[in-house]
Amino acid sequence: MTTSPDVRVRGLSVAYGSLAVLADVSLRVAPGEFVAVVGPSGCGKSTLLRVLGGLLPAGARVRADELALPVGPDGRAATAWMPQGDSLLPWRRAWANVLVGARIAGVPRDVADGRARALFDEFGLGGFERSWPHELSGGMRQRLALARTCLPQRPVLLLDEPFGALDALTRRRLNAWLASVSLGSAGGASAAVVLVTHDVDEALLLADRVLVMSDRPGRVVLEVPPRSDQSARARVLSALGVDLPALA
Amino acid sequence: MTRAALPVRAAPSTALADPPASLPSARGRGSRTAVRRVLAPTLAAVVLVGAWEVVARTSGLPEFVLPAPSQVAAAGVESAPLLGLHIATTLTEAALGLVLGAVVGLALAVLIAAFPVVADTVYPLVTLTQTVPTVVLAPLLILWAGFGLLPKVLLVALTVFFPVLVAAVTAMSDVDGAHVDMVRGLGGRRWNQFWLVRLPAAVPGAFGGLRVATTYVIGAAVVSEYLAGTSGLGVFIQRSRKSYDVDQILVAVVVIAVLTGALFLLVDALGRLATPWRRASR
Repeated sequence: MTTSPDVRVRGLSVAYGSLAVLADVSLRVAPGEFVAVVGPSGCGKSTLLRVLGGLLPAGARVRADELALPVGPDGRAATAWMPQGDSLLPWRRAWANVLVGARIAGVPRDVADGRARALFDEFGLGGFERSWPHELSGGMRQRLALARTCLPQRPVLLLDEPFGALDALTRRRLNAWLASVSLGSAGGASAAVVLVTHDVDEALLLADRVLVMSDRPGRVVLEVPPRSDQSARARVLSALGVDLPALA
Repeated sequence: MTRAALPVRAAPSTALADPPASLPSARGRGSRTAVRRVLAPTLAAVVLVGAWEVVARTSGLPEFVLPAPSQVAAAGVESAPLLGLHIATTLTEAALGLVLGAVVGLALAVLIAAFPVVADTVYPLVTLTQTVPTVVLAPLLILWAGFGLLPKVLLVALTVFFPVLVAAVTAMSDVDGAHVDMVRGLGGRRWNQFWLVRLPAAVPGAFGGLRVATTYVIGAAVVSEYLAGTSGLGVFIQRSRKSYDVDQILVAVVVIAVLTGALFLLVDALGRLATPWRRASR
């Protein structure tokens, strides 16, 4: 069974003026695949995600041999990007915030309401439909933002440090939860996910494949499948230049 | 052994004894500042009015220069039946002008935010016109729009328009870039960004401008009535001036102050209703 990858990037370079941010990055993501990109701060991993989400600022120079993304019926890239902060709109209650993505995608109201109901229950947000964003905890806000990103059922989700702003404990709990849910896409199939993080354990826990990026200008220096590679953690850490103490 | 136990037991009892002793005094201090906040300005006002009364009665100044507060109060009671119609006229002009100015100001702000071309061509011109104080335009407006309600409503609207426009445009351009990016990241176009982020973000700002503008509207209506008209507090003041009824002028001043305050409270309440998410965060 060969399906063409959802995301194909080859030879991608991005520069702001004379500052090279990404150099010759290649990346393929299969439908339903969960890919994590880890790297040191400032290595350009967020820039990579912004390129995939069509969000680069006007001043950036982007070159690529190939940059293919799934396209929706309206001819636009069918990706859903989630920023590091939750970016919930303060003037919308929780329920209306989750429907923002559906409004943009033009999902009919009754369909969107049904999906929102399911997401509220699955994401543990039931009972908070009428809350204002500032009344919710940080963890709930992030789950709400994730639900907003999932609701249009785009085939590719781009998550930029989705839990990066949370405390370590909440973050661990949310990661365990995220590993247990499937982020649905059209037709019940799982969406492909590109997750950017600087947390190695988060990447290893969640992803089918982990890409390690170098310091700026960022390039992919290592690719490991954590589920089948016993030494994945050590290899990722050494690729990041973190020396592990010898295990006695 | 019992000796060793005693201090241990004694310690919590002193710790418990402390708060009840300090609590009433803290509460007393709190209510004392509250009393001072209300009482002090009230007392100051009473003293000032009293001093005015004494000066007016003892200085020998004629009544048509400085009437005593008691005379003003008496004039208020006397002219109350007459005032109703004048108040209705002024309030109508102020309210219509306030609504018209707010609607036009907000609409232009929306156009400016939605179309950069409009922002580049219209906004500098509008800003330039603000070098002309609106009151100065009153004679022109009366020339062009007649002696009726219209020129007064227009003058009030012109006074309201600019603060609302500037506040709304500023709120829309200072919008959180992260919110705009979020909408773009979900595939949102300019139109989506505008409806989902910029427009709702402008509401609190527009109401801020409207609150400021509200404090001017009664005054603007009264000034336009000075120049022309048959009814309104401005007309009442002019008539009183011509007959040297200074006490009646002062009655009108008090009425204008009360109306302005009431209108401000009304707009403030509307602003709270329109931004429920802020009320909840207070």
